[in-house]
Amino acid sequence: MTEARPISALLQVALPNAAQPAVITVGLLYFAVIIGISIWAARRTRTANDFFVAGKGIGLIALTVASVSVSVSGFAFIGGPGFIYAAGLGAMYIVLPAAVTNVMGAWVLAKRMRLLAEARGLITIPDAIGARYRSRGAQGLSAIAILVGIVGYMATNALAMGVVINSIFGVGLGWGIWIGMGVTLAYSVSGGILAGIYNDVFQGTLMAAASVLVFLFVLNFGGGLGEISRTILAHDPTFLAPWGRLTPLAALSFFFVFSMGSLGQPQAVHKYYMLRDPLQLKWYPLLKTLGLVLVLLLYFGVGVGVKAFVLAGRLAPLTSPDQATPTLLLNVTPIILAALVFSGVAAATMSAANSFINIGAAIVTHDLPVAFGRRVTNELRWGRVATVLIAVAAAITAQRSGTMVAFLGIFGWGLFASTLVPALAVGLNWQGATRAGAMASIATGLLVTLALEMASYWKLFRFPAGVTASAVAMVASFLVFFIVSWLTRDSAAATIDPDIQLVMDI
Amino acid sequence: MTRRIALIALFIAIVAIAAGYAAAFSRNGTPTWAPWLLAAGIPVALGAIMILGAVRGAGGIGRLKIPFAFVILILAIGFGAALALPASEGPLSRLWLGLPARAAVVIYGVGLLPIIVLPVAYAMTFETLTLSAEDVERVRMSGRKYATSQPAPISGNETLSAND
Repeated sequence: MTEARPISALLQVALPNAAQPAVITVGLLYFAVIIGISIWAARRTRTANDFFVAGKGIGLIALTVASVSVSVSGFAFIGGPGFIYAAGLGAMYIVLPAAVTNVMGAWVLAKRMRLLAEARGLITIPDAIGARYRSRGAQGLSAIAILVGIVGYMATNALAMGVVINSIFGVGLGWGIWIGMGVTLAYSVSGGILAGIYNDVFQGTLMAAASVLVFLFVLNFGGGLGEISRTILAHDPTFLAPWGRLTPLAALSFFFVFSMGSLGQPQAVHKYYMLRDPLQLKWYPLLKTLGLVLVLLLYFGVGVGVKAFVLAGRLAPLTSPDQATPTLLLNVTPIILAALVFSGVAAATMSAANSFINIGAAIVTHDLPVAFGRRVTNELRWGRVATVLIAVAAAITAQRSGTMVAFLGIFGWGLFASTLVPALAVGLNWQGATRAGAMASIATGLLVTLALEMASYWKLFRFPAGVTASAVAMVASFLVFFIVSWLTRDSAAATIDPDIQLVMDI
Repeated sequence: MTRRIALIALFIAIVAIAAGYAAAFSRNGTPTWAPWLLAAGIPVALGAIMILGAVRGAGGIGRLKIPFAFVILILAIGFGAALALPASEGPLSRLWLGLPARAAVVIYGVGLLPIIVLPVAYAMTFETLTLSAEDVERVRMSGRKYATSQPAPISGNETLSAND
């Protein structure tokens, strides 16, 4: 068995030049639709509430599709299938948690977050932490943790946008980054999260359609899943073993981090505030899970299918695993399908970038001032200013293409998980959790993640097989949260206001 | 009581997962029992936190016991089978829905069966065990009462009390 390739290596890929008339035409149409939606949304954004949580007026279907859209990134279309091609079925442990994460999020967070919005009119995740623990310190600390994670995510997404746009239009990586970020910025600034949500709906639909079509094409081209498996089993049976080429510990570690960690991802959790009617949550997990399954069909289908086609000699061996999707699209599928998928990848990166820009702007203009006991008088105007600054900073950072950007990206997901899951997900459901426990847990997640990732990046330390910084940091954060809350348990009841108590009891 | 049991189970599961990771740092390499700690700890941790979220007040989880138990077992059996069953993948392997047996257990058991059970259970019990229109109205009233008791809002959108 071989060890998992570092996720960092999978966040950036070099795509081949796909600049053909059909691909360019579909790409231009895609951008035209984005601009149309943004103009429509800009006319409906009048307050900070509209800008950051869409005035809590999003319907169930729109919210579900938008949430699916931000839950996957370009990794699901390019890096993920490449990971399966390289590591076999072990790579599926990143996406298998989708079977439980959405309904788990609904039970643990959705109801209470949405009710907090009813009771207090909260608009951010640090707002919820601040209200739960009656603590500006906890709100500020969680805001800083999220902001640090967003820096990494944004730079990685900006770079991914540049790679995809360069592949579609052949404009060069630098221009690709600025064009992608410029379009995302235009709709983020003008229409805030409202433009983001409805663009996500369009982008999520595009991604699901592209994923399903490619999956069906692969099955048809390979003669069905059974035939594809037979081909692989004849040449490389380890590929279809339950852990693939990963160690069991590595595969299970992926499952742990991507299941439990999903409860701390702000781009998904933030969406709970936006649902128009809290009672519509009833169907949210079912619809979102089905949507995610559709979008992730490509991940599985291309990874396994391309492996079989290469082993059978129907495709030339890949120069690198990340070429699995582009090679299939540009050599086997109809060009229009390739165009749809390339636009789908652009959609995935822009959707994620918009969501993070919006959350980052809310932190800068809302949470950090509140943490210091200040108030920004015009949150809408300053929200727009912060949006521009965050996007430009991300684009500039992304220009430093290379391992530093990849490094920034890898700790984003793990950092959100280790800093937010205990304090938010457990804290909203356990009245014995204390302010001290929450702050110690957030600080532990932040420091352990940064220390371990930096030590690993500078090669000061090497983790044993199957252990990741994200997993260690999340476990440490949980243990600190429980232990400190237990040690300070006498103060637990004093930190809960009556309306918050009611939200936690329901 | 249910909440307390779920909390204890979550804590024990996290300790088990931590022990599994710690064992991987052994000089002689990862012991064979280390993945078993994760295989047992992950389903319990996920089940416990879901139960924690589903509990209302001092009550229990009612009919949700069945889907929660089912999913914890499915995950534990899936991971356990993948660890325990001997490697038998080869050109002549019998396929289950297009995959060899151990892979089918993981992909269809761990990855698809919970989808059929959990979101449906959530929807079917939503009004009775999760959230009703009366609950929402009670929260709105409580929020209004809290707002009127506060001297002045900190921001334009909320009235966060700040005690530290």
